[in-house]
Amino acid sequence: MTLQLGEKHFSSAQPESAARRIVTFKVGDRTFGIDVGMVREIKGWQATTPLPHAAPHVRGVLNLRGVILAVYDLRTSIGLGTTDATATHVIVVVDIEDKVAGLLVDSVSDIVDVPVSAVRPAPDLERDEHGLIEGLVLLDTDIVALLDLAAVIRDGGAETPIARVARAS
Amino acid sequence: MDPLAELKQTFFQECEELLGALEQRLQALDEGSTDPEDVNAAFRAIHSIKGGAGAFGCTELVAFAHVFEASLDHLRSGRVAVEDAPFALFLRCSDAVADLVSAARNDEPARPRPDLLEALEQVGKPAGAAAPPAAAPAKPAAPVPVAAPAPAAPAVSADDAPPGIAALGNLLAMVEAKTGVGAPAADTGWDDEPAAKAASKGPASGKPGRDVVLKISPENDLFRRVIEPRVVFASLPADDIVSIACDLSHVPPLETIDVSDCWMRFVVTMRTELSIEEIYSRFDFTLAAEEFEIEVLAGEPANDDAPVSPPVAAPVAAAAPTSEVSGSVAADLSAILAKLGPAPAATSAPDIQPVAPAVMPIAAPAPVVEAPAAARAAARAPANDAAAARQRQAVSVRVDLDRIDKLMNLVGEIVITQSMLVECVRSLPYDVHAAKTAEGILTLSRQTRELQDHVMAVRAQPVKAVFQRMPRLVRELAQTLGKEVRLVLEGENTEVDKTIIEELADPLTHMIRNSMDHGVETPDERIAAGKPPEGVIKLVAEHRAGRIVISVTDDGRGIGRDRLLAKAKSRGLVGADEKLAPEEIDQLIFAAGLSTAEVISDVSGRGVGMDVVRRNVESLGGRISVDSEPGRGCKFTLALPLTLAVLEGMVIRCAEDRYVIPIASVIETQHLASTPIEHLTFGQEVLRWRGEITPLYRLGSVMGSSGTPNENIIIIAETERGDNVGIAVDEIVGQQQVVVKSLEGNYGTVNGASAATILGDGLVALILDVDSMLRLAATSERPPATELKLAG
Repeated sequence: MTLQLGEKHFSSAQPESAARRIVTFKVGDRTFGIDVGMVREIKGWQATTPLPHAAPHVRGVLNLRGVILAVYDLRTSIGLGTTDATATHVIVVVDIEDKVAGLLVDSVSDIVDVPVSAVRPAPDLERDEHGLIEGLVLLDTDIVALLDLAAVIRDGGAETPIARVARAS
Repeated sequence: MDPLAELKQTFFQECEELLGALEQRLQALDEGSTDPEDVNAAFRAIHSIKGGAGAFGCTELVAFAHVFEASLDHLRSGRVAVEDAPFALFLRCSDAVADLVSAARNDEPARPRPDLLEALEQVGKPAGAAAPPAAAPAKPAAPVPVAAPAPAAPAVSADDAPPGIAALGNLLAMVEAKTGVGAPAADTGWDDEPAAKAASKGPASGKPGRDVVLKISPENDLFRRVIEPRVVFASLPADDIVSIACDLSHVPPLETIDVSDCWMRFVVTMRTELSIEEIYSRFDFTLAAEEFEIEVLAGEPANDDAPVSPPVAAPVAAAAPTSEVSGSVAADLSAILAKLGPAPAATSAPDIQPVAPAVMPIAAPAPVVEAPAAARAAARAPANDAAAARQRQAVSVRVDLDRIDKLMNLVGEIVITQSMLVECVRSLPYDVHAAKTAEGILTLSRQTRELQDHVMAVRAQPVKAVFQRMPRLVRELAQTLGKEVRLVLEGENTEVDKTIIEELADPLTHMIRNSMDHGVETPDERIAAGKPPEGVIKLVAEHRAGRIVISVTDDGRGIGRDRLLAKAKSRGLVGADEKLAPEEIDQLIFAAGLSTAEVISDVSGRGVGMDVVRRNVESLGGRISVDSEPGRGCKFTLALPLTLAVLEGMVIRCAEDRYVIPIASVIETQHLASTPIEHLTFGQEVLRWRGEITPLYRLGSVMGSSGTPNENIIIIAETERGDNVGIAVDEIVGQQQVVVKSLEGNYGTVNGASAATILGDGLVALILDVDSMLRLAATSERPPATELKLAG
């Protein structure tokens, strides 16, 4: 399933070169964004195979044309519980560092061009809470939180001894 | 068997085929055939026998074959008409060659055949041609130029005036020697001096073709691709090469050089009739397109339409060696090249053909498995037909591993698609069409399996390729350390996927170093301990539980547990008042930054050994463990998957989740109800299986399956140590070959699973790793504090 996304251009005097093209998507009523260059594809929800003793935000693994990739539940990452995934939910397949990962979100909204100058640093509050937000962009009435993808998947890999201890105690 | 003996055996096998071909061709000619290809094929057969015999020092055989070859050459060159040739004599000679071969094979004294030699020498004479070879063969003991050096001694002395390609090998040895000195070009005078003397006289006069300059700039990994410069040069017609200059200016200083890197750049000047495309195609198997440049200087354009033109009798020999002096060693090289021309004295027309037989021994530093295969393939060619002869050089091909990987991946996808089809057919209502479809799919399954096996076989290699490097390591270390050690190798023929072979060298080297340095004692210490002065290290490979298990066992002092523990405590890896079981202390050897050697030596002892080994092995889905008995010795066991590609698995279900357990680890399955279960302390269950107490694990609770498991099947599985365990699952779904997909690639290590696979319905299933599962079960029962520290 591929989504055709409309494009909305941010009216600004900034030259085109200093703009970031952002894919925005929703989890509940919150809007998140990542650079379009990191998005490999967008596909509909597909059942995953759970991994034993994985971190709670790791939904499991799925087969993307012969490649196994892990799917991370963004809702869990931001502390809003587990997504009750249905056919309308969407997996954003992203390239992060040298890996491919899936990000489970409610829906993909748009692709927008945002001048670099319009990206504000994340408030400390956000950083302290989850450490997942790289910056914020005000878009119309929405606040788009730009995700630090590395942070989203960070604790999902091999279970750290600390996580194991936490689980055991 | 040592590699040389093995090659020798291969050579004798080839001889059988070559003799068959020789006889068959001669028979055909005797019966009136005038096909020049018959003459050529016979000539090639005897030539190949001669070349191989030379490499293995079968002097009588070489001498006889040499004369025989010379006589046949008269036919080939037309000095003796085919109609007049004494084929009866030739056939008798071919029998004589067969006798000589079998004598050499059985190490018996050969029966001299002066009568035949005499007769052979007369063959060229009536035609009145200048019969130059007559003198040489008269003395069978005289060193006859041979096509290639024995693999054990790749560099022959320049005085032997080896023909063609062997000289290139020699030349390379010189280049290597210079590189070995590590003197950058300008450091010593002797590099530049001869270069200055070499006057540039322009291209070899009289030779048709055009002047071409090849700039060869191999990537640094040339050697690691098992390609050597001489192999590269061997793909060019030796006669066409005017000069080869080696540019050593890129070679880094000796102290920083990695000997497995290639820093040499070459400039080859050629006078050739080959077209640019033909030159390109000659490097197909050795160099990437960006590693060489071809520049045409001048000369009459060669006829591009013509196929590779027949060899021209115009040896560069007499012409003074001309060289484009661009590199520091150029003059030395061209001096040797000068010897290329006159070398095969017997054959007045040195041609391309020596290239093919020569390639084998020259390529010998490559993994041994490749060489005999290539040679066998090459040897079969003449027996087939005329057309095959021209393609001889292409019979064995070097294929980029990447291409095989792509093929492998594709086969993997086909396997998945095929199991998907099987599931589809199962759900069809039963009728004639469904039955036919099922039948077709059954056939498809078999063929897919076969295809997969073949692709896997292309990649499989015996571990010998790695094991063979170890004796030298042991010899050298023994000398450095002043210890006496005998290395015993077992199971060298155990085959394993190429990807794994490549990864074996480092861990094995480390393990052997460790045993040599820390394990085996000095002769004095050993005598004091009541042991023979000579220590024994056993390196054993075997297949077990679907893995390759390699162990390094020494009979040394074992792990010094007190020292190791003290060290670990001082480093804070273990709590000061913590009590560890002896086995747990042994495992500390794999912790980072621990070394117990009293003196930090060059050999090992910086504490960067075993933990690195462990990490590398684990990243491959393997495991390493140690068993030590103080005073008696120490055994490191390395278990790696046989391949990173496919495995035969049993699909099982536990609650809602499906898993694949490698069939190789399954011993038997049974119903839980029929098996008495007993409970030990801490909730550990055991069952009696064949009179043995076997621990039982419930898959659902170990792996944290979702849903409520209804475990009523027990799978008895084998661990790498050879122990048995029971695993309780809900259902056995089926058995199928699965394609192994890495979890590490896009995720990370998953405890309890070695990898994942894609089942017929497109969903992912984890492939269980029994040992890792047991560790997972064990860690979740142990107090967390200890575990955290050990994990560090």
